[in-house]
Amino acid sequence: MKRYMAVFLLLIMSLTFLSGCWSKKELNDLALVSAVGLDLDKQGRFVGTFQFINPGNVTGGFQGGGGGQGNAVSVYSSKGDNMDEVSRRMSTKVSRNLYYAHANLVVISDELAKKKGVLPILDAFDRDATFRNTATIVIAHHVKAADLVKTLTAIDKIPANKMIKLLRFSERVWGGTMNVMIMDVIRDLTDDGKQPVISGFNLKGSGETGKTTQSIMQTTPESAPQIGGLALFKGGKLTGWLYGSQARGVVWTLNKIKKTDINLSKKGKKEAIAFEVIRQNTKISAFKIDGETHLKVKVDTEGNIGETKVPVNLKDPMVIKQLEDGFEKVIEKEITSAITAAQKKKTDIFGFGDAVHRSQPKTWKRISDKWDDTYFAKAKVEVEADAFVRRTALRNNSFLSDVE
Amino acid sequence: MEKVKITPYQLFALILLFELGSALLVAIGIEAKQDAWIVILLGMIGGLLLFFVFYRLYCFYPDCLPTEYIQKIMGKGLGKSVAFLYMMYNVYVAARVLRDFGAMLLTFAYIETPLFIANTLMILVIVYSVSKGIEVLARTGELFLVFIYFLAGSGVLLVLFSGVVDLHNLQPVLENGWKPIVKATVKETIYFPFGELIVFSMIMPYLRDSKKIRNVGIIGVIVSGISLMLVMVFNLSILGVNLTARSQFPLLSTIQTIHVADFLERLDVYFMIALIVGGFFKISIFLYAAVIGTANICNIKPASRLTYPLGLVVLFISMTMASNFPEHLKEGIRVVPLLLHLPFQIIFPLLLLGLAFWKNRKKTN
Repeated sequence: MKRYMAVFLLLIMSLTFLSGCWSKKELNDLALVSAVGLDLDKQGRFVGTFQFINPGNVTGGFQGGGGGQGNAVSVYSSKGDNMDEVSRRMSTKVSRNLYYAHANLVVISDELAKKKGVLPILDAFDRDATFRNTATIVIAHHVKAADLVKTLTAIDKIPANKMIKLLRFSERVWGGTMNVMIMDVIRDLTDDGKQPVISGFNLKGSGETGKTTQSIMQTTPESAPQIGGLALFKGGKLTGWLYGSQARGVVWTLNKIKKTDINLSKKGKKEAIAFEVIRQNTKISAFKIDGETHLKVKVDTEGNIGETKVPVNLKDPMVIKQLEDGFEKVIEKEITSAITAAQKKKTDIFGFGDAVHRSQPKTWKRISDKWDDTYFAKAKVEVEADAFVRRTALRNNSFLSDVE
Repeated sequence: MEKVKITPYQLFALILLFELGSALLVAIGIEAKQDAWIVILLGMIGGLLLFFVFYRLYCFYPDCLPTEYIQKIMGKGLGKSVAFLYMMYNVYVAARVLRDFGAMLLTFAYIETPLFIANTLMILVIVYSVSKGIEVLARTGELFLVFIYFLAGSGVLLVLFSGVVDLHNLQPVLENGWKPIVKATVKETIYFPFGELIVFSMIMPYLRDSKKIRNVGIIGVIVSGISLMLVMVFNLSILGVNLTARSQFPLLSTIQTIHVADFLERLDVYFMIALIVGGFFKISIFLYAAVIGTANICNIKPASRLTYPLGLVVLFISMTMASNFPEHLKEGIRVVPLLLHLPFQIIFPLLLLGLAFWKNRKKTN
């Protein structure tokens, strides 16, 4: 009898301990958040716009076969004074538990970034156990974050994925942009020798058309998110934007360029010869000359000739050498103009302060408080690029040499 | 003493898993900022010296448990009370580790589960395996060591392939000189995790081949020290000093940065496995030492009868020792090293060693 009692007790215990249903969350009770957009309302409260995945409508590829009717995502907004409140208020509109483990994108409006900065926002994302601080963060430029989050996209059905893939892909082949994670931003914010820089997104077309399926039924969607510019931060607040070649200069300096293309004007024609950068390595350093701290950027890069619009004799090594010199000047100019722009904004987004910290810890202790405003803004930065043209692809001289 | 024997490799596995146990998961020596890895190495050297102290003591009395030789060295009454204090210390530290473990589990994965349930489940498993004796524990260790190092090896490769390691974060080395490093070593790493090896003096007498203890101990301490240092180097170079210091569990954040080929990511389970295996062995060894020690002092046979009551004590101390996690951590950093670790890991063993020298010299004369 005793034995049976023991077995019975054991069974009851297993029922409570082994079933593992303590705080179970069934999949059909979860709302998978894919992106979070943050704006400010007129009273200065946060407006969170959340993009939720409709799992049934995502399957089946972009032809639409097999997928359900309707949009791949649904978007809801709620207001609050902090992130937790925004998230919990969402329960008045969404019938499921918010699940953040798949949230890969945080969009912050430029208004919010300017007025309040990122400081009051990021702790919630950093602290929460389900939210990954490896999520990408971007700034909505000239557009509300809500509109960016609401816009449907064509090939990648989930807009958040589309935006992240845009960033990653563009970073890989063009280099005027960067995929910045929340973790990176926080690291830069706490580091007194470097300020954060975050990629910007704007919206082609209007937010109103973007949220309808009609927009993506066309070959050229009426509204689509696109990458534009790099946002410079200082003290956690947005201070300015860099575009085009200046933005790429920033990415060069940060050693984040993977591939890109550099153009050289020749014989009166603008951007006549294209240099495909295949790999590069950029180092920044700080050293002392006559007691003064000097900053230096050194770029080593190699690649191929991608295109020529004017006849040049690419068989001649001396000509190649001249071209290399030309490319080096273009790169140097790009980087210098990026640094000058940042110096005007008095924000060291390149991490020169860290370089000083590494090489001269004692000096750094003395000057770290005034680094951005006094020292960096006035510092002389030497930029040196070494470019190597390795190959000229399938042709040596262009057919243009025989046409003209 | 139980009549069981363990092999040198099993002892090595136990030492390694014990050392990695909870030290792997928290930021040790982070007071010295980017030089925390040096602090760990210094702590390892201190740990080696301490290990020699424990080993010398063992050499004087290779056939009996510390609870017995303390009585031989200090006399019956005093010796018994010191030995009893030691057992209380073991129980307390076991409870501390259990609390660490439960709090980590709750912070990171089981947010809505009560601490009591998490701790109970863990202690039930531990009590069961401890009641089976040291041999079972040692064999389990043998098995899990391979497993943990397989995880560690693949983890290191994945982290490297993710391309997030930036060794610049370790610079400047020795920014503030040696002072903060030595300070952090003396205040922290020498006790936790290395000084805690004192508990192994309860296990040394069980080794089959007593000549090998010294080498096994040295290799165990060095391998664990280097492993911990490598983990710290990875944490610092991936997260930076600031984030490492702010993270409750830097290793978790480091593992979360793994991102290889767009699909090998979110490998939090690595952390989870390290956490559970490490916690299991650390608590088990402390509890085992407490069980056989107390049984030895109070002449209780078989010793395993004490496992359930002592396990219950560990569970309840772990629940009541602090009302929140920050309080628990603060106690662990400020109070425990000074009030408990320093006397029990350094002062008492040195005192005992001195007395033992003196007594044994008299004998030979």
